[in-house]
Amino acid sequence: MPAPPSSRERERMVTKSKINKAQIVGLLMPGLLVFGMFTVYPIIRLFWMSLCDMSFSSMLIQPFAGSMNYQEVFRDPTFWTVFVNSVVYTLVTVPGQMALGLFIAILLNGVKRFSVTFRVINYLPVVTSWVIASLVFRYIFNTEGLLNYFLWKILGLTSSNIRWLDSRWSGLSVAMILGVWKGIGWNMVIFLAALQQVPQDLYEAAEIDGCGAWKKFVNVTLPAIRGTLLFALIELTIGGFNVFTSIKMITGGKPAHQTDTLLTWMYYKAFSTGKFGYAAALSFVMALSLGLLAIVQFRMMRNRDA
Amino acid sequence: MKSKNAAKIRSLLIRYLLLAVGTVIFTLPMIYMISTSLRPNGALYEYPPRFFPQWEALTIENYDYILHQSKFYLNFLNSVIVSVSTIVLAAVVSSAMAFVLGKFKSRPTKILFGFIIITMIIPGTTMIVPQFELATKLGLVNKLGGLIPFYVAWVIPFSTFMIKGFMENIPNEIMEAAWIDGADVWTVYTRIALPLASPAIASVSIFNFLTAWEEYPWANTVINDNSKRTLPIAIAGFFGQHQFTQWGYVFAMSVLTLIPVVLIFILCQKFFVQGLTAGSVKE
Repeated sequence: MPAPPSSRERERMVTKSKINKAQIVGLLMPGLLVFGMFTVYPIIRLFWMSLCDMSFSSMLIQPFAGSMNYQEVFRDPTFWTVFVNSVVYTLVTVPGQMALGLFIAILLNGVKRFSVTFRVINYLPVVTSWVIASLVFRYIFNTEGLLNYFLWKILGLTSSNIRWLDSRWSGLSVAMILGVWKGIGWNMVIFLAALQQVPQDLYEAAEIDGCGAWKKFVNVTLPAIRGTLLFALIELTIGGFNVFTSIKMITGGKPAHQTDTLLTWMYYKAFSTGKFGYAAALSFVMALSLGLLAIVQFRMMRNRDA
Repeated sequence: MKSKNAAKIRSLLIRYLLLAVGTVIFTLPMIYMISTSLRPNGALYEYPPRFFPQWEALTIENYDYILHQSKFYLNFLNSVIVSVSTIVLAAVVSSAMAFVLGKFKSRPTKILFGFIIITMIIPGTTMIVPQFELATKLGLVNKLGGLIPFYVAWVIPFSTFMIKGFMENIPNEIMEAAWIDGADVWTVYTRIALPLASPAIASVSIFNFLTAWEEYPWANTVINDNSKRTLPIAIAGFFGQHQFTQWGYVFAMSVLTLIPVVLIFILCQKFFVQGLTAGSVKE
């Protein structure tokens, strides 16, 4: 703790030296330029596009159209189908991967031998790219594929090959299984780090109070890692609504857009039908809702911390 | 005492058993991918399907095809160019921003940081339409240059956030000593801040590499030309090319694409865990 006079002296000397604003701005500039041009500008432009009548046919004239695109989005039955799909995907995969990730983290937290090996193996699906993982799952769930053979000919649980990829909920289920499979490792790593920071004496105190394993988990572990749980919740919710590649690779939205999600439907509207205004309105609604959702989740995290 | 020990051993056994089950579930799809890549192409829709190919039928003909007849090397090179450019540029611009935002705190820099972080809420793919329009205006369509700046802009918030945390931990005394010695901002950044923050930059760069290496939606939108394709869209292209997918080729190419990723992941495991946990455990 420096004494007041010397600190003032230091400040004087520091201001005399060469902290110049120009260099500070110079360091910020390259990053801000790239970020401003390729992220901030598109966000603003997205909002503007959503208010204009933009399509392939009106590329040059883009008349202001007010809320037309938004009305079109909300009146479109397919929008509601894909909206429900995205919500279901998120509601299933987020708790699914958090619960399983936490479960494995708790298992790993109690073992020493092979702990690193298990961690590396559990994390491999995370580093596997979405394109590759999706194609592997598609191959496994093919009508003449390995899973059907296993269920029918080996276990005898089914009496024919199930067409997993050809109907709405089973097609989405394949994508959801992939989403959980691929996400567990990430959850496991961050939860394991959080678990390792829980003070051991809390558990000892709970044990003296006669708490069993489940009570310890509910009363000690969960409150102690709530910050990490909410961090994961926010990140994964955004990720859930961002699902795109797996749907494109596994079902391609078939049959008749029944398995499309918000983003694959937006992409189809923009690049296959040229309805840019519609796509922009949909994107903007999505970005806005996720922003609001994140603020709510963040508030929860703050309130609980206090 | 004895029964307590027995209970401990039993609980440990259950843990290992469950972990082993998990390992099987995590690795089965990958093993199936490798095994499919090693069987003859004609046997791909063999019935009954086998998890492991017959020993005498094992073949590397799919790899042979990928390595000799496809544009694999070009796609691989494109992916390397895009990924390396992305991580180098992102490291340079993000570390400079992180240094200023972490070490010269004022109202404007705090607001700026908050703004950058808030954009992380927006899923990248929602911006694809205006970004495509921008790429068209700038003449970047069907060029690798149409990928790199977008990837850099994409990873800036996360990278800046991570490196900033590290920059903040640099003791003020070190910087003050430098100011008194007459160093300017640039010198302090390059001589003091950068070396001290290098572990964070390394960790961020691994994540950025993975992001660029595996990115699909944007690359698929911007690149049409076969020779400009990066690996993910080349693989996806293989998948959609014929009415009957040549799964052997698809998975041989997938395995070759995953090898660098898995190597980097295993070699840099420590940085990985650091990077992942830095943002999540903060109380």
